[in-house]
Amino acid sequence: MDLSLLGQYVLNGLMLGTIYAMVAVGFTLFFGVLDVIKFSHGDVLMVGAFTGLVAYLGLSALGVQSNALLTLGVMLSAVLLIALLGAALARWLVLPLRGAPPINLLLITLMAGTVLREAIRLFYPAGANPKPFPRLLPADSVSFGALTLRFDSAILIALGLASIVAVHLLVTRTRLGLAIRAVAQDSETAQVVGMNFQRIVLVTFAIGSALAALAGVTAGLYYNEINFGMGLLLGVIGFSAAVVGGLGNLYGAILGGFLFAGLQTLGAVWFAVPAYKDVFAFAVVILVMTWRPTGLIAEQSAERV
Amino acid sequence: MLPRPLRAALCCALLLAAGAVGAKEAVKLVFIGPLTGGVSANGLGGRNAADLAVRLRNADAKARYRYELVALDDECKPNIGVQVATKASSDRSIVAGVTHYCSTVAMATVDVYHRFGLPVVVWGAVLPDITYAHDYAEVHRVNGTMINQNETAARFMTGLKYQRWAVIHDTTDYGKGHNKYFSEYLAKNGGRIVGTFGVTADQQDFSAELTKIKDLKPEVVYFGGITPLGVRIRTQMDKLGVKAVFQGTSGIVSDAYIEGLGPLAEGSLAFREGAPIEKLPGGKLFLEQYNAQKYNDPPEAYGAFAFAAANLVMDAIEKVGPDRKKVRSELNRTRDYQSVVGTITFDDRRQNAVPLITKFVVQDGRWIVWEDSEYANGKRKLIQP
Amino acid sequence: MSARAAQQPVLWPAFAATGAIACFAYLFLRVEAQWEVAALAVGAVLALLAFGRTRLGAAVGAAWSVRPVPLAWGALLAASVVVALFAEDHFALLLIATVLLYGLACLGLTIQFGYAGVVNFSGAAFFGVGGYTAAVLATHTALPHPLVLAAGGVLAGAIGSLLVLPLLRTRGHYAALITIAFAILFKTFLEVNDALGGPQGLKVPGMRMLGWSFNDNIPLGEQTELSFYLSYAVFSLLLLAGALLLMRRLERSWLGLSLDAVRIDETAAAVFGFEVARWKILAFTLGNVLAGVAGAAYAMMTGFVAPASFTFAESLIMVSIVILGGLGNPVGVLAAAALVLVLPEKLQVIQEYRFLLFSGFVILVLLFRPEGLLPRTLRQYLPGWGRA
Repeated sequence: MDLSLLGQYVLNGLMLGTIYAMVAVGFTLFFGVLDVIKFSHGDVLMVGAFTGLVAYLGLSALGVQSNALLTLGVMLSAVLLIALLGAALARWLVLPLRGAPPINLLLITLMAGTVLREAIRLFYPAGANPKPFPRLLPADSVSFGALTLRFDSAILIALGLASIVAVHLLVTRTRLGLAIRAVAQDSETAQVVGMNFQRIVLVTFAIGSALAALAGVTAGLYYNEINFGMGLLLGVIGFSAAVVGGLGNLYGAILGGFLFAGLQTLGAVWFAVPAYKDVFAFAVVILVMTWRPTGLIAEQSAERV
Repeated sequence: MLPRPLRAALCCALLLAAGAVGAKEAVKLVFIGPLTGGVSANGLGGRNAADLAVRLRNADAKARYRYELVALDDECKPNIGVQVATKASSDRSIVAGVTHYCSTVAMATVDVYHRFGLPVVVWGAVLPDITYAHDYAEVHRVNGTMINQNETAARFMTGLKYQRWAVIHDTTDYGKGHNKYFSEYLAKNGGRIVGTFGVTADQQDFSAELTKIKDLKPEVVYFGGITPLGVRIRTQMDKLGVKAVFQGTSGIVSDAYIEGLGPLAEGSLAFREGAPIEKLPGGKLFLEQYNAQKYNDPPEAYGAFAFAAANLVMDAIEKVGPDRKKVRSELNRTRDYQSVVGTITFDDRRQNAVPLITKFVVQDGRWIVWEDSEYANGKRKLIQP
Repeated sequence: MSARAAQQPVLWPAFAATGAIACFAYLFLRVEAQWEVAALAVGAVLALLAFGRTRLGAAVGAAWSVRPVPLAWGALLAASVVVALFAEDHFALLLIATVLLYGLACLGLTIQFGYAGVVNFSGAAFFGVGGYTAAVLATHTALPHPLVLAAGGVLAGAIGSLLVLPLLRTRGHYAALITIAFAILFKTFLEVNDALGGPQGLKVPGMRMLGWSFNDNIPLGEQTELSFYLSYAVFSLLLLAGALLLMRRLERSWLGLSLDAVRIDETAAAVFGFEVARWKILAFTLGNVLAGVAGAAYAMMTGFVAPASFTFAESLIMVSIVILGGLGNPVGVLAAAALVLVLPEKLQVIQEYRFLLFSGFVILVLLFRPEGLLPRTLRQYLPGWGRA
């Protein structure tokens, strides 16, 4: 296999990995703060993509022509609206069940995800059909042998990585981030010290959901297609990535995201039938969990009995 | 609820009274197609066409019965198809069916119709096995099979001097059938297949397959599958810089393909049995009446076939009455039946022969018959071999 | 204590309750008018919710705990009568058999989840293992069909044992991930694997037992022909009765006690000397076996298996049934199965919205009544223990 072909595979993997990492970071944030796995995350991503589509349709109808403005409008609207959605889900579904057994939380978020998915399928006009997503980014490309680097892929990868870095900086360098980490570490003490627990939780969910919305718009811009079922698989993959990397650890989430994308790409190359790549990737996830039950970057926690 | 014999007696009394007044007995037909999902455009078109047939028949004073159409959604999934087929067949008030656009669903449900003895006429599924792999008297088909379209495709494309193909097909029986027949005919016509790739019907990402294909440098990419997948593959071909002609089957001849791709659809080829609706014998009349009803969706590629199938079934019922066995025997005997899609004659496997294959190309955002297009007369060029 | 044990509860309230349920089932399957269906459904839910609080409810519960044998026969008889009344109606019998078989699979999930606390988000995958086993064995071998059913169960248990090691080493969310990953892996594997039919699936021959072919209509005299689904419905009823018996014995025994201990507090159980791993393995495997047997029977009845029938969404439906019904209560699980599976068929208007409605419903249940429709009753160490 020549180098440029390998390079193409690496590029494909990078694109997928960026999307997965964005989703995984969201999962890890929620888990860190509230010990909750918000399974509706993937479907929130999907709603974000649809919000972007609606924004595009609205802006075009208003006569906006410039691709840059449209892209900006699409991303901003998706990010802001979905941040609100994430906070709302936290406020009404997750926080009330804080004392309940964790399985109830898992279930309620799973069901919330199903509600979102079905709502789009039923209430968005022809929601059950895949919808074309506008081609807003420059389509030129530059070729090195078998490797074709398109500008839109490059932009999206850069944007995705930048957003992850931004969230990382937010969590480690700002006061808000400090508050989030405090609540994640010990929520009771944080409250005693005077932090507004509920507000911090809502903000965290908003940030994580905003990141998911960005991932959804990225997927839409890359594949030029969105459909109501795209969130389910992406959510599970994002969750697997976060778990494999180690829940609660931001670096672990990023690692897990790129690792999963790498596994899929490897599986596609190795196997004669590329469709086995998902089977391969999930099997490896199960194996990794067996070897390291709390993820590659293990959770360091003491459990009070 | 009254006990059954008493109800039957009451029904008979009412019928007699009604017969004296002139009211007609209600007869139920079932229409099954993909009303939701990626190919819903075709399913809805077919349903509207069948609905049109029923309405026109009910408006006809000479009809002996009043027809009711029960429309069920098979979602283009075999398991859902089996469920709704079972539901329709186990309902004894449904006399016959106009069924299926998706070959995968039609293949799965033939056993159900046979088990319950429900006569059905297929209107859109092209896999040959649906009528040829078994000998169930219940299953008939008015549209053609994929054998002829692939034969014509192979001859035409090699005639245009193309020699190297990469084949992508979905792993359902539909895609596998296309792969089988196209490969066979291509070999006979001297074409060479440099790589064959099977993909799942709901696959999102084709970068792995297309990267391999790019390395193999084919002149044409043949796609055996339906519209949603076709849209994705064509889009990603462009992203990865795979420069080849995109050749599809009847599965992508739909407006949804062009909507999904925009300018990228330009120059895609496809082959379909039968003529475009405007050129069919009863086509113009059908379109006029279809548009008069103001349905939300166009009839799409196979709407006329659904219309013909529904009329075929209703004519059989008019002749022998609403009895499943009798209708089945009557349908088996169909010879030289005149319909909007031409003459229908069933062979010994209840398959209609549709000899005409139309070649389509996308030009300026529409599927145009090849002979009428600017590609045929040289004004525009496909990617050259 | 001995005075209490000597007090025999009256049986007639329990018989009356069984009769009322049977009448309701008959009416529910028979009525066509949409408002009637909706009214019946709402009425049933309200009745179930109120049941536990009335004295009648307490009396019925007492009767079932002390003298179950005549009551069980009565229930079986009532169920058989309902099935017989629908002898010619294909669709009603198909619905009954579907509820019974899905209920059987969900009982398996109840053992895993309600008794031992082992969460399983891949119930539909094990259901599918049973189905595919039946497809392959019945088509290609001459194995007698009762053994095919057993093989379905055994294979489901065997494949489940592949997951046992990861499941034992993980807790909570991580364990959930294992089963979710498996559910997705299973469906994807079936879809890409041509040997098992790929996305097109496989056809499954009908059941034949002792020369009796389940797939032929049963002629009764000249005019009438009983639906062939009758055989399946009766068979499913017997399977379910057996499973209920098994579950009751399991729950009452020291095995059930151990499972409960492991569920309630793993660490404390380990401290007290319970072999947590062993009990989890038992529950998980037994649950999968039940799901596999149910899947094999269901496949033979519908005659068809395809990967799209056994997705993650189907597993979620099973989990919803278990939660809605009341975790650990077999009767609740059956009631929830009937509600979730039959209501969308009868109430056409909600057919399209059923996933949405049921998810929303489960959310409400989890927020306001996490114990479900029929909460699990307190453990009874001896007949009559703790009841007035």
